Amino acid sequence: MTTGELAVPARPTNRFRTALIVAAFVAFTVATCIPAIGGIDLDVGAIVRNWRNGAGKMLQLLQPNFAFLPRTWAPMLETLQMALVGAVASAIVSVPITLWAASPTNPNSWTRITVRTLVNIVRSVPDLVFATVLVAMVGVGALPGVLTLFLFNIGIVVKLVSEAIDSSDHGYMEAGHAAGGTQLQINRVTALPQTWPLFANQWLYTLELNVRISAILGIVGAGGIGRILDERRAFYAYGDVSVIILEILVVVILIEIMSNLLRKRLV
Amino acid sequence: MTGLQTPVKLPAQTELQTPTKPSRLWSTVFAIAVGAVVLVAGAGLKITWSDLPAMPGQIAHYLRLMFEAPNLEKLPRALFETWRSISMAWLGAIMCVVVSIPLGMLAANGVGPWWLRTALRGVFAVIRAIPEVIIALILLTVTGLTPFTGALALGIAGIGTQGKWVYETIESVQEGASEAVRAAGGNTAEVTRWALWPAAAPTLMSFALYRFEINIRTSAVLGLVGAGGIGSMLSNYTNFRQWDTVGMLLIVVVIATMLMDAVSGAIRRRIMEGAKVRDVARSS
Repeated sequence: MTTGELAVPARPTNRFRTALIVAAFVAFTVATCIPAIGGIDLDVGAIVRNWRNGAGKMLQLLQPNFAFLPRTWAPMLETLQMALVGAVASAIVSVPITLWAASPTNPNSWTRITVRTLVNIVRSVPDLVFATVLVAMVGVGALPGVLTLFLFNIGIVVKLVSEAIDSSDHGYMEAGHAAGGTQLQINRVTALPQTWPLFANQWLYTLELNVRISAILGIVGAGGIGRILDERRAFYAYGDVSVIILEILVVVILIEIMSNLLRKRLV
Repeated sequence: MTGLQTPVKLPAQTELQTPTKPSRLWSTVFAIAVGAVVLVAGAGLKITWSDLPAMPGQIAHYLRLMFEAPNLEKLPRALFETWRSISMAWLGAIMCVVVSIPLGMLAANGVGPWWLRTALRGVFAVIRAIPEVIIALILLTVTGLTPFTGALALGIAGIGTQGKWVYETIESVQEGASEAVRAAGGNTAEVTRWALWPAAAPTLMSFALYRFEINIRTSAVLGLVGAGGIGSMLSNYTNFRQWDTVGMLLIVVVIATMLMDAVSGAIRRRIMEGAKVRDVARSS
């Protein structure tokens, strides 16, 4: 053996596994591109042919018509009200449901699994789908919007906070058990004070989300700024549309700044 | 020295010198203010709250219409449209990830030059602020009312968040490896290839799958504006008030979403946590 050369062992290879993963990836991707079974027709030609239409729209969007701004105040206020009411209502309801869905705070596995399954079902329905169905049920207006946000927020808060409770250290709750407390007492005196910061964090997050979501809920008739957005778009008034988008952008950023300030104080 | 001469008398009851309770004035005022704002907001909404007690009954009525006997006649069509939604989500996720990984890397501290970083972060922030539906509405004028529009919209709309995740991941990678590469004489490209990428790749792949999960939900939303897929079908049958079909479609949406979440979640865990250590038969 010449000096300076190490007896390096052969690099471990995993060619078979890599090939399998790549094959699965390619197969799935190809299957999503076959229109005959529901896949997507990747019509790149359309982009080449019609890109001018989109560019034209973008150009119109880049010329916001600020004269339209005063007419957006009322719908924007409605959006904020919907976001706030939805977030607060869900915050109140989310506390007991969360404690039901976490295993340290609810030792009964049957109720726990039932609650979790229900929450998971609610979570897997997209927000605008809720809104569409609710608008058909209770009529056009702010009510279906608030209900949509309420359901959507409960899904988020319960899932995230109950998982956090599950994975946290429950020494303090065992102390409660050892002292002879009932489950209700333990939850109230030990679990709740420990989880307030988690709850507060998620509530603020849902408030932020709600402002974003309620901006588009109006498209299906659930009230707020989305209604006027959809209306102006239907009139091809892209200058007005871009003013509304800018307004949503500003409001979302303001809400985020506010909730970050609050979060620093609360958490 | 008086204390020594006259021994301190203990009070009959041992009283603790508790400090005075800290003032809760401001938190109370704050809580009342928040409560007032919420009440005003609730009162300001054009909702006839007196209808609310009748609501549960009404909703139960519709739920019965939807789920008592879901209409399975349209099931094959629904499965076809579900696959279309999944395709939209998948291709959108691929487009989004392919664009956002290089851009996000360039936007990370220590990789791209500062002007590029600032510009890219600005672009990400603007895209995050625009709802997907609006992006889809612009794209409609280019590619028409097709699922391809939906996939493109998902691909573009996701870049904002995905790019942010990418640069945050790259920035959270431990310094050690990049310093080692730099000490060995590597330039920025080599640092990215040999230190940052290997450390960040699992997280980035996991985020890519997560994007797919998000897109599955969003693709239903895009369907509502006419991009096709299960969302379009759902919106149509809701407008026709064919509740038994709507019920069936909702069941399909829920099952498909949960199934995809479960599969993708399992793969993500496998990527992040690595292979389970197989029990090596040590004895007997």
